Parts: sequence; C-alpha cells; structure tokens
Amino acid sequence: MLLQQLINGLSIGMIYALIALGYTMVYGILKIVNFAHGDIYMMGSFFGLFFMKELHMPLYLAFIFSAVSAAILGMIIERTAYRPLRKADRIVPLISALGVSTFLISLAQLLWGTEMHPFPTAFGSKTYAVGSVTFSEIQILIFILSFVLMFGLHLFVTRTKVGTALRATSMNLTNAALMGINTNRMISLTFGLGSALAAVAGILVGIYYNAVYPNMGYMAGINAFTAAVLGGIGSIPGAMLGGVLLGLVETLAGAYISTQYKGVISFSILIIVLLIRPSGILGKKDINKV
Amino acid sequence: MNKKAAVGSAIAILLLILPLFLSQINDLWMHVVIMIGVFSILSMGLNVIIGYAGQFALGHAAFYGIGAYAAALLMLHLDISFWLALPAAAMIAGLFGFLLATPVIRLRGDYLGIVTLGFGEIVRLIFVNWVDVTRGPMGLPGVPAPSLFGYTFTGKTEFYYLILVLVVITYLVVNRIVHSGIGLSMLATREDETLAASIGIRPNKFKLLAFTVGAFFAGIAGAFWASYISYVSPDAFKYLDSVNILAMVILGGSASLPGSILGAAILVAGPELLRYVNEYRMLLLGLAIVLMMIFKPAGFWGEKHRKINFYGSGARKGDVK
Amino acid sequence: MKRTIGSIALSALLAGAVAGCAAGGGGTQGGSESIRIGLAAPISGTQAQYGESFKNGAQLAAAQINEAGGIEGKNVEIIIHDDKGDSNEAVNVANKLASDRSILAVVGHFNSSATLATAPVYNKNKIVQISPSSSAPAVTDAGEYTFRVITTDAFQADYLADWSAELGYKKVALIYEQSDFGLGLLDVYQESAKKHNIEIVGAEAYNPGDKEFSIILTKLKEQQPEAIFIGGFYNEAALIAQQAERLNLKADFIGVDSLYSEALLSLGGESVNGLKLIGFFYPGGDNEKATAFAEEYQAAYNSKPDTYAAYAYVATAVVLEAIKEKGADRESIKTYLETLEGFEGPTGVISFDENGDVLTVPSRLTIQDGEFQLYQ
Repeated sequence: MLLQQLINGLSIGMIYALIALGYTMVYGILKIVNFAHGDIYMMGSFFGLFFMKELHMPLYLAFIFSAVSAAILGMIIERTAYRPLRKADRIVPLISALGVSTFLISLAQLLWGTEMHPFPTAFGSKTYAVGSVTFSEIQILIFILSFVLMFGLHLFVTRTKVGTALRATSMNLTNAALMGINTNRMISLTFGLGSALAAVAGILVGIYYNAVYPNMGYMAGINAFTAAVLGGIGSIPGAMLGGVLLGLVETLAGAYISTQYKGVISFSILIIVLLIRPSGILGKKDINKV
Repeated sequence: MNKKAAVGSAIAILLLILPLFLSQINDLWMHVVIMIGVFSILSMGLNVIIGYAGQFALGHAAFYGIGAYAAALLMLHLDISFWLALPAAAMIAGLFGFLLATPVIRLRGDYLGIVTLGFGEIVRLIFVNWVDVTRGPMGLPGVPAPSLFGYTFTGKTEFYYLILVLVVITYLVVNRIVHSGIGLSMLATREDETLAASIGIRPNKFKLLAFTVGAFFAGIAGAFWASYISYVSPDAFKYLDSVNILAMVILGGSASLPGSILGAAILVAGPELLRYVNEYRMLLLGLAIVLMMIFKPAGFWGEKHRKINFYGSGARKGDVK
Repeated sequence: MKRTIGSIALSALLAGAVAGCAAGGGGTQGGSESIRIGLAAPISGTQAQYGESFKNGAQLAAAQINEAGGIEGKNVEIIIHDDKGDSNEAVNVANKLASDRSILAVVGHFNSSATLATAPVYNKNKIVQISPSSSAPAVTDAGEYTFRVITTDAFQADYLADWSAELGYKKVALIYEQSDFGLGLLDVYQESAKKHNIEIVGAEAYNPGDKEFSIILTKLKEQQPEAIFIGGFYNEAALIAQQAERLNLKADFIGVDSLYSEALLSLGGESVNGLKLIGFFYPGGDNEKATAFAEEYQAAYNSKPDTYAAYAYVATAVVLEAIKEKGADRESIKTYLETLEGFEGPTGVISFDENGDVLTVPSRLTIQDGEFQLYQ
C-alpha cells in the first residue's frame, strides 16, 4: 500500500507545484500573496471545459487556449485590481485580492452553476498495473507535463534575456526600472505566466477527478500557497520541491493517521514552517531593512 | 445642550422604542436588527485587530464559533445559567485568541493572513470532526434561552434589549481601550513596528492584546447567538463568514467604531433588502470590495485623517528609498 | 477626480440595488389573490443543485394544479427563498416566511441541520414545515409542525443492511460523509450489520465537497471488502467509483436514495455500472405516478428528475391537497397532515405517523448499461 500511496501523493504534489509556481512568482516580484490565484486555476479549468465541450477542441489545443485565456485574465486582474494599489498600505491589495476572489467565484457560479461538471474526455482512464501498484494514464500525463513545464520555466527564467529581466525586477523593483527594464511589463508577464501554469493544472485536475466546479480554487489555493512557503517563497525550484513534499506528506498522513484531519495537517505544516524557517527550504533569508 | 448630545439622545430613545414598532410590522426585521447587533460586536472586535493594530487576521469566525460552542456546552452539560456562561465563553474565546496569536505574532501581513485563515479552518474542522464533544455536523440543539428573575426570554423583544445592552457595553469598552495609551501604542505598532519598538513600545505585546480583545468580544457575540438561535452547528463559522466580517470592517471604516456598526448594518440588512438581486449578491460584494480599496480604502466612515496617508505615503519595507 | 468617479460608481451601485429591491418589493404584494406556499432551499452555494431539484419539483406540482384551474379559482404561487444550505441563513429565511402571514406552509429545508435549526421558528409561529429531504433521526422530535416525506436514515440504512445480507456480503466497508446524514447512516448500518453477521472491515469519512478519495480507497483496498457502502451524495459517489476503478479496487458499491440522480450516471460513467441502491422514486417501475411525474418533468425542464425533485413534488402536492380539502389556513393544513394516510405519489404511498415521519416501502435498484433499472 505504501508504494501506491506514494504515487497518489506524487500526483497531487505535482499539481500543487504547478499552482504554487504562480504564487511564488507573484510574491517574488510584488511581495504580495495573490489570494485570487486559486480562483484563476479554477477559471482555467472551466475555460478548458468550455473549449472542449462547446468548441470541440482536442485536448492539446484546449490546454493551449486555456493557458492563454487564463494568462489574459491574470493580466487584466493585475492591471485593474492591483496596479492602482501599488503605493498603498500593504493590507490594501490583500483585501482587494479577496474581493477579486469572491468576484471570480460568483462569476463562475453564475456562468456555470454550482454543480460539478464532468470533464469530457476519455483520456486518462486507462490504467497500468505494475505489481500491486496501479498507474493511470492521467497520472503519467501529470508527471510529464508538470515536469516539462517547470523545467521550461526554470530555463526561461535563468537562460533568456527576458527571464533575467524578470529576476532583476523581483530582486529590486526600483533598481530594475533604473536599469531600463519596463517593470510594469515584467509584472504583467509574471501574472500571465503564473496564470497560464495554473490553468494547465486546472485542466489536469479536471481530468484527474472528472470534476470542475466554482469552489475548487479555495483548498487548492491554500495548499499551493503552503507548498510555495514550504519550498521557499520567491524560489521557483522551491515551489516545485514544496509541492511534491506537501503532496507526499499529506497523502501519507491521510493514509496512516486520519483522512478527515488532512486539512489540519497541511495547515499545521504551514504554521510550523513559518515559525521555524519562514524562508522555507530553498528560500533566501529576507533581510528586513529599517 | 450641544448638537452632538442632542443627536445622541435622539438616537438612544429611538433605539429603545424600536422594538415596539418592529414587532408590529414584521418579526423578520426584528431578527435583522438583532443580527446587526451581533455582527456589530464581531466587527468592532475585528476592527481592533485589523484597524487599530493593523494585523491582517482572516479567521475571526473561529473565535465567534468558540464562544458559541463554549456557551452552549456550558449551558447544556453543566447547567450553567446564561449570565455566567456569557462571560465564561468570552474569556475562553479571549484565551484562544491569545493562544493562537502567540506563536504567529511575529509574522508579517500576508503570512499572518494565511496563517490566521489556517487557524480558522483548523478550528472549524475540529468543530466538524470532534463528534464526541460538539456532535459534529449534527450540532447542539436546545440551547436554553436566558432567564432573568425567573422569567425566561421567549420573544425577540427581550433578545433585542439584551443585544442592545451588549453592543453598548462593547462600544464603550472598546472605545475606552482605543482612545487610551493602549490604543495609541497599537496605532504606532500598525504604522511602523520597528520605529515603535525604538521608542519603547513592545509591538508584540500590543498585537497580542488586540487579538485577545477581538477574540473576547467575538466570544460574547457567539454566546449570545447560541442562546438566541438555540442551535449551534459548524456551518455558521466558515471562512466565508470571516470574509464577511472583514468586509464589514472594511466597508464601514477601519479604526472606526461607528464605522464597524455601519459596516455590520450594510452587510446584514443589505442582503435582506437585496434579496431580489440575490444571485448577483456575492458578485457585487466582490466588486464592491475591490472598488472600495481603490477609491475609498478608509471605508465609508473611516478615520478622516488617514485618507491622506493611504495614497502615496508608502515606503514599503524592502524598497530602496 | 479618481475619488469622484469612485464615489459616483459606488453610489450608483448602491442606488441601483436599493431601486432594484424597491421595484421587486412591489411584486410580492400578491396578497390573498393567490395561494402562497414558501419554498426554503439552497438555491446558491455548494448545494445549489439540490435546491434546483427542489424548485423544479415544487413548481411542477403548483403548475399542474394551476393548469387544472387552481384551488377554488386561485393560483398557487411558490415563493422561493435561498437558505444557501447554511443553518444561519436558514433561520433568517424561516423568520421571513413565518412572519409573512400570506404564506400558508413551507416546503423545506434541504439539510437536516437547517431543518433542525429552523424547526423552533416554524413551530413557534404555528406554520407547517415539510421537508423533502431531511432524513436525520433528530427531526422526528423537532416539533408538531415539522413533517417530512423522506424516511429516516435509520430506516434506509437498516433496509440496506438487510439487503446486503441477502446479497451475501460478509465484508463491507463504509465511506461516509462527515455530516449528520453520513454519520446517521454509518451508525444504523453498523448496528444492523452486526445482527446479520456482516463484518465492517473499515469506515472512512470524507468532508462534503472533497474530491480526493484515492487515499481512503487505497487504505480500504487492503481490507478487501466485498462491498462498499457509500453514505453520501451522488457527486462524491461518482468520484469514489471512478477512483476505485483506477486503483483496480474490485468491490460492489451500495447506497441509499441520495445516490439516485442522472448526475451520478454522467459523472461516474462506466465506473458506476453495477452499483446497487434503494430508492423510493423510480420511474419505469410499477409506480405509475412516478412514471407520469418523470414524463411531465422531462417535458417541463428537459431533464430527468432526481430523488429530490420527486420528494419536493410530493411535499408540495401533499400541502396543496391539504389546502384543497380543508381550506387555505395554516392550522388546518397541519391537522390535515397529521391524519393523512394513503396519499399516492411518485415516491410511493405516504402516511404520516404521530411524529410527522413518513412510512413507505423502497424499491431495489441497480445501474446497468448506464441507466437505473430495477434490481432483479
């Protein structure tokens, strides 16, 4: 059973990692927690549903279109709900994010109803048994796709010019601007990338659980944030590590301790990490300037 | 008699005779008014934490729940009278506020928000899963109503006067706290912790105090509510309820007690009035929150002098100046 | 400038809202020209789909009476209030409905916790509350004015345990919802199973709204149960069945009427074939009223009704029957229901006992070829 649970945990973990990337990138650059990120993941899932069900697109196209739509949504949100507040007290954009989150959830409810929608694809139901362990097709897709995307993001951020500009902006906004980087564009790009990844995660989850519904962003968002913090907020490899770790810990705790208190365990991890090592496993220590 | 006192007395008299009108018209509006009272207490308490001490706390509904469950359990299992259960529940809630805040008080805004949200969820999960004590989702029915000199509260009018008294007490006490040296220290902590520490104010002490006070009053509201509805179940204390209370503080005005009451009134009576646009209610709420933050972050009745500081004062920590 | 625009925008929003309600407010002054029945259900929130079923069922009952000329010429109006599946909001709704003298009875609520929280309000105001779905045992003692058209969890779980024994299961596991509903089913099934010498090899709870069941299923797989009783609603049941299939968990699934819904079929697909459940509503069986109801529902709403739509329909029909027989008065509705026996409807023949609980006999159903069928 252990091996099977590990596989379960890994699948969940990779999904957390994909969503966590969005949190970590936005935090890295703007130092705010985008509470609405989980709901962008949810919208991405619905977009995927829409493209496949109404426009009959094949799966791979749905991924692309959804990612792009979510990126645009993310950028619009940044522009309207966060940018005007950049100079305000720190608490203000946080509350604005709450407002955006509430808005998105009700919008999804109005557009698509509150019931669970099945994901219209036969992909992913085939299973492969290896000894006492079963893999399903969708789990394999999750592993491969997540890994490819994360690796791709890492390369983008470390090896390209734009990526370097992105990193510069997250290190110090004002200085980056002084260097001639269009920081507003960098910020938009960050939101766009994070949202696109969240959308992919959303579709993968939609297929994995065969259920898409407006409230799905809430827990996923909190868990992904925990993962980002665990791995080191602001660090991309950290988000990946944190996601996988959290998925494994949660699953094992659920299997061997109690499934109902799973949520308690995740939150407790979050709290403990924040108390003992707030910069997370791979994060850099944050120096608080006076 | 100056204008302020005249207006004040007029309001007081109006509040005292209100039930006589309302109970003729419609029991529902009595209920709404009582709920406004309950949420005013919650909102004022949260305002101390968010508005005065500047701590972004998201799990306030948990303290409300702890107060309600504590009062219900005390009254049901130990046969304690309401008048003892109320302060006991408040103190228990306050204690939890202190205990939960202690480990995390060092955390900054966004982190604190998530952690307090986490605590709120943990407390709720405990309410739902600790069936032996809380009966889980089946809740605790039959919580007795308060009785005074042998007369047990039966109608809404009695509860109305009780909540009125509680709201007034809360207002007076919290008002005293925030307009004293303690309040000033909290404000100083809110503005800049390091600076406050450098002039001898211990930020952690005042942040903890804010959480304890906020939780204490949430406990009062919870105990009242348990007795009024006579049924306590975990669904009253969800994350969304915390967001609702937060919205009341924001809309009404942070760091402003009349603002909190206004916020409670808007968000309790609003949905009743707006039942007809019910589907769009949450949508509008979300939109309203974002717009408020952009245009009126100090709320409708917020601190007047803060309106200036919200725009462009902001050297944020980490910026190079 | 920014501030002015903002203030104008906000004032417009608020003004629009107030105007909207004022306009809407005028509409409810229907007064005594119509028969008004309240419907309290989760129209929004996580259980909105059940609220939708309630709404459809109740409105269909009203529409049928209206088409036949109404009751003494008056039209029946269903006044819908959203309790969001939340007991707090439910109490608000109850207060509103109870204090509106033109409302004769209330069909509602959905969750047992909402029904329990609101029972004191309805009983105090002496207005009948008839729930289509609150099956928790505690509702039996909730009050004189509290009725329900669904049997208690105790009855259903007990019946299912008897059937499990007949099917020859010796090792059964339970996956139940952490709610009054699931816990109720768990307790009774465990008790009854003991009497039949059925071993309960595992019982795992989930929170409503959960999607991740692989952990629980992997755990239970170790115990090799012959059957798994899903004590919850159709959404989660579908997910459980699917994830079990992916894990190669070979066990039969059994459940009670909360699983009866088209959504179970569309969400579960192949994985729910062979699932066995008991149900009080089954069109296509011997109950002509059920078949007729399903046809009319399909014609009116272009979809198939689930158990809750049927129950809501019956609850409403029973109230309307009371009004037809005894007149449009709150108290007489209650006295009529107290003595009602042998009312034939889509969910079987209904009689109320002295506690307002209903006595009827369920059918045994199963899913074959993507459809609900009678179990032979």
